[in-house]
Amino acid sequence: MNQIQQTNRPPMTTIPWEEKLKEMPPIPGDKELVERVWKQTDSLGFLYIYFCLLGF
Amino acid sequence: MANDMEQLYQQRLTRYTTAMRNEKPDRIPIRPFVAEFVARYAGFTCQDVVHDYEKAFEATRKCAAEFDWDATVSNMVWVWTGLTEAISLKYYAVPGIHLPADKAFQYVEPPEGAAWMGPDDYDALIEDPTGYLYNVWLPRVANDVVAPGEPSTMRNNLSFVKGGMAMMQYFGGLAQQGQRLRAESGTVSAIAGMLKVPFDIIADKLRGYKGLCMDLFRQPEKVIAACEALAPHLLEVAAMTADPLRQVPVGLWMHRGCMPFLSPEQFERFYWPTLKWILCELHNRGIQTLFYAEGEWNPNLKYIAELPDLSIVYHVDRGDIEEVHRALGHKFCLSGGIPNDVLALGTPDDVRSACKKVIDAVARDGGYIMDASAIMQDDTLPENLRAMTDFTREYGQY
Repeated sequence: MNQIQQTNRPPMTTIPWEEKLKEMPPIPGDKELVERVWKQTDSLGFLYIYFCLLGF
Repeated sequence: MANDMEQLYQQRLTRYTTAMRNEKPDRIPIRPFVAEFVARYAGFTCQDVVHDYEKAFEATRKCAAEFDWDATVSNMVWVWTGLTEAISLKYYAVPGIHLPADKAFQYVEPPEGAAWMGPDDYDALIEDPTGYLYNVWLPRVANDVVAPGEPSTMRNNLSFVKGGMAMMQYFGGLAQQGQRLRAESGTVSAIAGMLKVPFDIIADKLRGYKGLCMDLFRQPEKVIAACEALAPHLLEVAAMTADPLRQVPVGLWMHRGCMPFLSPEQFERFYWPTLKWILCELHNRGIQTLFYAEGEWNPNLKYIAELPDLSIVYHVDRGDIEEVHRALGHKFCLSGGIPNDVLALGTPDDVRSACKKVIDAVARDGGYIMDASAIMQDDTLPENLRAMTDFTREYGQY
């Protein structure tokens, strides 16, 4: 096991940005900002289920 | 001698981190891992401290101040059953609800035929661990959570709302607890973060130990693939929750890797590869791990010696600590080794004798932290823990 294995749902992700982007209208503003904030809050969903699995 | 709390804290932090670098501090750090002991000492029941975490925090602060330890865990009882009840998790037996109020909480492993993960679920877990946990595992382990495709309910929605909010509340409380330990008694919070071994998670929360043992023979490649699928996710959780200052280690309690649960051959094939990978990845990120080797781990010492120097602090439970020191002492700081039965059933003189034996054997050149062999529950006698603390403070001077 020498490197992180890539799956369709990588670590720290529940709904990948690419999947969310398809649902959104064209973004005239700062797309990177939308992506960054989506990923930050999406990671909370990841942490919730792994906290349940590992800690509680 | 420190003249204020912050100075005392810094003095203790230096002592603790120096030992964890396998160097020689001014004296042996005292870092007891005390769970239900703190409740009994402070006059609380087990129900009090698992259901009202502020009481657990209060009891820990009282012990830290009155015993004057260098470091301890902010809340070693850890599980807040208010949270687990909010999520509606099925696998806990809660003091005061399912158990007498003076008994410690228990994890209830389902019978082999009713494991939370079935033997045919491996492919789904391997393909998408996070999806499997949300779509299959959580609806099975939580009374109120419904599986995708089934009609949703208010209780389903509330499980996530209350669970998420309660989790934030609890972790916020833990952060405050660390600050209060520092400010009120100059005590270092000994560990940070959350990590488990992939194999242990499959045994504990998915297939169950018996089911997993059958899988080792019936579908061993699936077990290996499942460990490999989970490992990157568990690594990121550990890294995300680790001490941002990289001063204290991530705690890692291991359950099924020791003798007699796995033979050394099984350990090498199933348990060790993903554990080693995670520990090395954390080390590469500057994160040390507290390798809490609960049980008898000495048959596996040759594997653990493969890890990079200082990547772990190796905690000794039932293994011969002198053998551990010979095998690992040049690479890692050691901790523990004071038998819990002596702390529970012996006299203070017995405890002092056990401490002297361990210090003389493994701590002459530093790289050792005083602690019991395993987490102290409510059978540890206060006078014995006092003897362990006071003797080490005096005899453990360098």
